[in-house]
Amino acid sequence: MAKVVPRPHLSLWENLYVVEIFKGLMTTWGHVQKNVTTGAFETRNYPEEAPSLPRDYRARHRLMKRPDGSPRCVACFMCSTACPARCINIVAEEADRADIEKRPATFEIDLLLCVFCGFCVEACPCDAIRMDTTIGVMVHDNRRDFIITKDKLLDWAPADYPATDTQSQKAPGGTLNAQALAEFNAGSRH
Amino acid sequence: MPDPITINVDGRDVQVQPGMQLIEALRGPAKTDTPAFCYHPDLTVAGNCRICLVETEGPRGWALGISCHMKTAPGLKVRTQVTSEKIVKLRKGVMEFLLVNHPLDCPICDKAGECTLQEHYMGQGRHESRLEDEVGKQYKGGADHRFTDSKGEARGGKKIDLGSTIVLDQERCIVCSRCVRFMDEVAQSPQLAIAARGDHAYITTFPGKPLEHDYDLNVTDICPVGALTGKHFRFQQRVWMLKSVESIDPSDSLGANLTIEYNVGQVNGKVWRLMPRRNPAVNKSWISNASRMLYQDLAKDRLTDGVVNGQDVPLAEALSAATAALTGAKRLAIVASGHLTTEDNAALLELATKFGTKAEVFGGSWLPVGQPDGIARSGDPVANRKALQVLGVPDNLDALVARAGEFDAILIAGNDLWAADAAKAEALTKIPVRVVLSSWINATTAKATIAVGVRAWAEVRGTMINCQGRVQVLNACPVVPNPDLEAVWQVVNQVGQLGWTTESQAWKAAAARAPQLQGITYRAIGPMGQMIAETAAPAAVGV
Repeated sequence: MAKVVPRPHLSLWENLYVVEIFKGLMTTWGHVQKNVTTGAFETRNYPEEAPSLPRDYRARHRLMKRPDGSPRCVACFMCSTACPARCINIVAEEADRADIEKRPATFEIDLLLCVFCGFCVEACPCDAIRMDTTIGVMVHDNRRDFIITKDKLLDWAPADYPATDTQSQKAPGGTLNAQALAEFNAGSRH
Repeated sequence: MPDPITINVDGRDVQVQPGMQLIEALRGPAKTDTPAFCYHPDLTVAGNCRICLVETEGPRGWALGISCHMKTAPGLKVRTQVTSEKIVKLRKGVMEFLLVNHPLDCPICDKAGECTLQEHYMGQGRHESRLEDEVGKQYKGGADHRFTDSKGEARGGKKIDLGSTIVLDQERCIVCSRCVRFMDEVAQSPQLAIAARGDHAYITTFPGKPLEHDYDLNVTDICPVGALTGKHFRFQQRVWMLKSVESIDPSDSLGANLTIEYNVGQVNGKVWRLMPRRNPAVNKSWISNASRMLYQDLAKDRLTDGVVNGQDVPLAEALSAATAALTGAKRLAIVASGHLTTEDNAALLELATKFGTKAEVFGGSWLPVGQPDGIARSGDPVANRKALQVLGVPDNLDALVARAGEFDAILIAGNDLWAADAAKAEALTKIPVRVVLSSWINATTAKATIAVGVRAWAEVRGTMINCQGRVQVLNACPVVPNPDLEAVWQVVNQVGQLGWTTESQAWKAAAARAPQLQGITYRAIGPMGQMIAETAAPAAVGV
């Protein structure tokens, strides 16, 4: 059932448009005045100059790591099932160690198809995929480079993440890695 | 069939057959969804999962009983989950017990999505777990939860290699005994057993012996959880990503019913597996491992283009070369094939009619015919042999060899004569023009002067008539190695200018030649097949 939206009633002045155009230009002129006198509106050379993004921003993905550096992903396909853009392609394989059954052989995200909705992060049962890299600007000169592979997704350093982010700090190089690795090697769950 | 009787289900009177399992009566005529793990319509009743319990009225009032182990009788009164709160509560309790030791493996379990335990948890369970998550026989391969059996062997393994085809996860098993009963009753080769008791019970083979049988992959289908998984499909795809079409086994004249499971798309477009489809009159719920692995051939050694005099050429070029060669021939031998659909053979016969006296039709196969195994194979590798008989194609390949010198051209469709008997087939090289329509690159295409690629069995819609005289439909799966490939009847249609556009026209042409097929339409055949008039009584399964 379509919803009928009533058209706004325009007065004679509004119907003439000319007056309204000058009203709009007044706003623009006001901004020019304000910027020239106080410098309130910052101008950035995008994309050479990256914007600073908060951690909550849904930026480029990364794959989380176990304390030993292997991807935490178990190739369950929940993210690719939840993905509305169908941009995640996973090929699963048998892992060669006793405590892990299944792992991704390849894990690719086509960033040109991705709509950055964050459903993959929500769907992941083991916190293996996150979108907190704050990488919001991706510039490549061909389409193939926008398909981001497992290696690139795993290429991040714990030092770039806050000390309060315990999961990131448990990865190799993180402040909590030594203890986490000892527990991991002793057979504890992760 | 005996007269139906009336039973009372949740206050409704329902007409059912006397003496049938109550669970079948509930699921069928009474239209009441009844869960089960251990019950399987093609196996004996074990009655160990207890989830199918219902209340029935007896001399001492309402009593609980398992519906899989009860027979229908006149005046039986049943209360199910629809009217009885007690049943709802008890089934929830049963689910909780079943899930006590079940690991939370669903994200990496191949059964997830088609798992009976998942379905029934959503249907009858939905309880909050009252257990610490460390409790379990064994969690994530940790050594703490393994146990030692009476022989002193470590048990509780996540990945036990049972044999050449199957991997067992003892932790996921709910000990329903379906696999044990399958091996005992259907395969008649007792190789699996339940050892130990209580929550230490586990499925195992005999000490040191692997699980090896021509039908052993059926246990992975009937396993209600992901305890038994086939190596060929392990970790390949999640089942909810697959689409399916109904087809039949093209490698055997019983034509076991199966579904082709595939997905489309650039990255994963592929046929991933074949699953048995239940047809009580043909293969029950079983298919052999050999039939199940046929999907692997669909992407291997395919003839995706044409070959003319040893040169690879595009399909259209090969087709026009074949058309010119066949229409220009003075004396043409056409070899019909029991490996092709009835429609394809009707097209070949129609082509012979169109060419008139210069063309002669031969048929048959040199492949050895084996013995029926009593489960889902007749032993005859020529799947559509019955259709050749019905259409009146003679079984005279030896006559063709003897008279090979008479012909100057031969059309061999979907019949690998050189692989069947190279010594006999060698005489056919006397014929100068050899046109071969084949789905695969094989010994016969190697001997062809013109080879044209065609669609394989999984990619065409058509019919085959099995050894019982049952017409069964093959449906087309859209995964094709080259989308320009056509079915044999389409190629023949273009060669002979038959003017057909759909396979049903080919089917009508077949029906015009065989009175038994008249009046049968694709819709009438349906998923279960339809017996042709000639053989009124179906032969026993597997015979």
